[in-house]
Amino acid sequence: MVQLPIVNDLGFFEIRLESIGGLGANLAGKMLAEAGVVGAGLNGVSFSSYGSEKKGSAVKAHIRFCDLNTPIRDTSPVERPHVVGVFHEALAKTVNVTSGIHEQSTVLVNSAKTPEELKELLKMKAGTIAVIDATSIALKEKNRVNMAMLGALFRLCPFLDTATMKDVIEKSLGKKYPQAVESAITTFDRGYNEVKFMQFELAAGDSMPEYVRSDIGVLGFDTQSIGGSIINPGSTFLKNLSISRSGMIPAYENEACIHCAQCDTVCPDQCFVWEERIDRKGRSQMFLTGIDYQYCKGCLKCVDACPTSALSSQREKEGYADTHTVHHQFDLITQV
Amino acid sequence: MAIDYEQEVGSAKVEQKFLYESGNEMAAYAAHQINYHVMGYFPISPSTEVAQFLDTMKASGQHDIMLVPSDGEHSSAGICYGASTAGGRVFNATSAQGYMFMLEQLPVQAGTRMPMVMNLICRSISGPLNIHGDHSDLYFALNTGWPILMCRDPQSVYDMNLMALKLAEHAKVRLPVMVASDGYFTSHQKRRVQAFAHREDVHKFVGEQPPAGFTDTLDRNNPVTVGPYMNEPDYINNRYQQSVAMYNAGEVFEEIAQEFAELTGRHYPMIEQYRMEDADVAVFLMNSASEIIKDVVDQLRLQGIKAGAISPNMIRPFPQKQIAEALKNVKAITVGDRADSVGGHGGNMVNEIKAALFTYGNTTTKVISRIYGLGGKDFYAEDGHHFFQLAIDAVVADRVEIPFDYYGHNPGTPDKAPKRLLKPMSFESLKTGLITVKQNEETGKLSVKVPPIRSLMKKPRRLSPGHGACPGCGIFSGLELFFKGIEGDIVALYHTGCAMVTTTGYPYSAHKSTFIHNLFQNGAATLSGVVEMFWERKRRGELDGLGLQEDFTFVMVTGDGGMDIGMGPAIGAALRGHKMIIVEYDNEGYMNTGAQQSYSTPLGHRTSTSSIGKTQQGKVTQHKDTAQIMAATNIPYVFTGCEAYPQDLLKKAAKAQWYAQNEGLVYGKILIACPLNWMSEDKDGTNIVSLAVESCFFPLYEVEQGTTTITYNPEEKDKRVEVAAWLKTMGKTRHLLKPENEPALRAFEGEVQRRWNRLKAKHEHPDL
Repeated sequence: MVQLPIVNDLGFFEIRLESIGGLGANLAGKMLAEAGVVGAGLNGVSFSSYGSEKKGSAVKAHIRFCDLNTPIRDTSPVERPHVVGVFHEALAKTVNVTSGIHEQSTVLVNSAKTPEELKELLKMKAGTIAVIDATSIALKEKNRVNMAMLGALFRLCPFLDTATMKDVIEKSLGKKYPQAVESAITTFDRGYNEVKFMQFELAAGDSMPEYVRSDIGVLGFDTQSIGGSIINPGSTFLKNLSISRSGMIPAYENEACIHCAQCDTVCPDQCFVWEERIDRKGRSQMFLTGIDYQYCKGCLKCVDACPTSALSSQREKEGYADTHTVHHQFDLITQV
Repeated sequence: MAIDYEQEVGSAKVEQKFLYESGNEMAAYAAHQINYHVMGYFPISPSTEVAQFLDTMKASGQHDIMLVPSDGEHSSAGICYGASTAGGRVFNATSAQGYMFMLEQLPVQAGTRMPMVMNLICRSISGPLNIHGDHSDLYFALNTGWPILMCRDPQSVYDMNLMALKLAEHAKVRLPVMVASDGYFTSHQKRRVQAFAHREDVHKFVGEQPPAGFTDTLDRNNPVTVGPYMNEPDYINNRYQQSVAMYNAGEVFEEIAQEFAELTGRHYPMIEQYRMEDADVAVFLMNSASEIIKDVVDQLRLQGIKAGAISPNMIRPFPQKQIAEALKNVKAITVGDRADSVGGHGGNMVNEIKAALFTYGNTTTKVISRIYGLGGKDFYAEDGHHFFQLAIDAVVADRVEIPFDYYGHNPGTPDKAPKRLLKPMSFESLKTGLITVKQNEETGKLSVKVPPIRSLMKKPRRLSPGHGACPGCGIFSGLELFFKGIEGDIVALYHTGCAMVTTTGYPYSAHKSTFIHNLFQNGAATLSGVVEMFWERKRRGELDGLGLQEDFTFVMVTGDGGMDIGMGPAIGAALRGHKMIIVEYDNEGYMNTGAQQSYSTPLGHRTSTSSIGKTQQGKVTQHKDTAQIMAATNIPYVFTGCEAYPQDLLKKAAKAQWYAQNEGLVYGKILIACPLNWMSEDKDGTNIVSLAVESCFFPLYEVEQGTTTITYNPEEKDKRVEVAAWLKTMGKTRHLLKPENEPALRAFEGEVQRRWNRLKAKHEHPDL
């Protein structure tokens, strides 16, 4: 039987995948676990964080490996991972993706940035950063981000056999999507081969952050209103949904806009910002001023609906949303 | 999914194989090996997967269980009950609200002594709505008269499912049996599991056929009257029989468990004891948490503390004697209940354990009760250490400081308390006057004027941005457009479904005006109550000080199958004529629970319970025509609409409001895209629903005061397209265009055309 490189007190090598629904982290987790249990003959367990949150929202997958004689009793989430796989670098804005890592942990990030830049972004004190530009690979190979991530994760789990994995890919995809098998395997291979590593030592005298249990709510029994009623209507506007975008973004060109509101009519996410002005004929009229990208999930329905060239789709470049967003004006009780 | 290992399987006498599967997969795996006759089911998380796995296996010809998709759990339990009277083997799986909805049926099943097996994938019960695991549904099962087997992991889910059937059918038992496992912790975590390698061996164990000689409503030579009217003095004797059978179930289970152990090497005594031989302190937990605690016991033992853990494999009948025996020499025990019996000074388990100790004369073991892990809150090893510490403290102090408490709750900090952020929407901004509705004095019909949509951008949206729906979800574009046509204030009630869960994830709400969620099936009744209270309080002058300028428009939003399970209450509300609107977003399935078929799923469409395989090509029945059903209740206004025809939908919304404020109930159906489960591109939703209209699958029409008007006729505009042009846009329907599915495609086209022809006839003849 294969040897695990490092295990915790209970004998587990632990992996946590941080992703958004729809990128296939759940499936990648299942395949990874299957490769360990079926392929490498380890004992293992895998599961995802489940909620009613939909495609596009933050999700986690958890995998534990151990030797065959170690009983698996723990059902709690992986809090002290040896490997973290971050499927979308923007997750770091809203989720503490590196929560609970050790100095010996490796954090794999889907990103075009350098390890140094990522260390900054993730506020990592120490550990190994592994980088793979899974999104670019997936777009190029016309396959999914999770396959490239899976390939890179295999590099981080040397006890797993890539040949078995390719077999699993072939079997699981072959039934439903036979045409996707070849590109999935290429994407997997590129993930495996192109991942880059850099190790960062802990500064002298410094220590890794204490992990905080993930199951403590912000509100408590003294601060929740009774019965669970929400007395803060419309408060979802505080949320940032930009991580739901998976690479593409609608761009708005005001000059070409005829303000017909077709885009707004089909927008599922209330992203379009309007203002009332006097038009050339001296009448009060509504004008589209732009898109509030904080809420845009990148579905691009608006681009399809637009009768002119005012809306077009493009690959989202870093910083584009921030510089081009037009914020909704909310009618706040106290301006903050 | 099966993985064969060339590995030794211990002392087993039967050939076994290794699988790597979750609890739900193993429940389905056992059921398919048993090859039950009938399963009546209804989707609810986290148990739905059981039916999904069985459907997938059926589509590939691995079993021939008749899977019956019901219209709600009350029906699924009814289907199962009926089937179990009829001599065959019956199976079901449910959770939480589903269990609560079928509750009425369950004591009947036990009281009339009809065996079956049901998996309860334990989950917390509403409200507020929580889909994660605890034992609050399970505790309602304690008084139903069903023996209850408990499962700590996927392996025991499989094993218990085999033993449950044998137990249920045993001559000394003849009771329906429940198999309880923990939602998500067990149902969705994959483990290495051993299973019988051959179905024949399963059948040898459970019996090829159910034992003969019992009630069989299909035995024409022996007519039988099931479920008579039985008052005193007879009823108590029926119940005594049942009580005897239940206690028999304990003894019979031990026999079966012994036989099972000899076959497989896995033994399930009524209670499992871990290092209890010489334990001073112990913790009692059930199911998944009872595994975690074993690691804690091991750690404490290393420190020299004589710790042990105890957990039941069966809680009905309650293993009273075995627990008393196990605790005989224990100095203190912490009992964790994963659900409260609110006001009972402890959960059900701690009180039954105390009763066991008392009954067997043990007055020395100290018992500490803690409610933990509610609503899926995780149980970590450190929590287990805390439970042991409570027991150790009680031993040291020779008293229990706090006999009963919650564990894991927290007060929160005042500075994080929610604060009101948005001002209420001004009435003037909502009542724009841009939309006018006038009643024609002669005809009584309404004429509506709506401005270009651009002008309506002035109206505030009813929802804040920031909801958690999928990219490209059609619900909110459809709903916001509909609401644009409504002037003034609304009170909204949403059925359980995607629209509800994505807008109300605590502590956030996307709803800017008042919003109510009650239950999946009960929205129409609930909103009826709100509406009648509105009119009554208004009549009494009690609303005068509350800032209301004009009457509210009451809107119920349903979808994701809510008009299946909620059909009864919706028809009831329609017949009572409450002044309210029911608007259904139709996404053609139970998308909120993972895309199971609903009755509005069209023929041949693929869902997670209408799979595609060699023996099945999607849904086998035609879609429900809810608009026509509601029209038959003779309510003043019924409409259909979609976002691809915005002016049409806006006008209908305005009419709906007028009728709901002046006459009575309105029903409308908006077809909306679900890219995730329709397997289409996020951006294509508007186009797809447009093709549904142009293919005449989803005609745009209204029924106003009984008169049908087609409001957009694609034939007249020369826009009619083939049904196939619509079907090819979605992954869930593309298989219908293959030559081998031509009969299904023709049948579907025929039904679309038949309904369209009938609609045109109605359009032409006001009397139809």
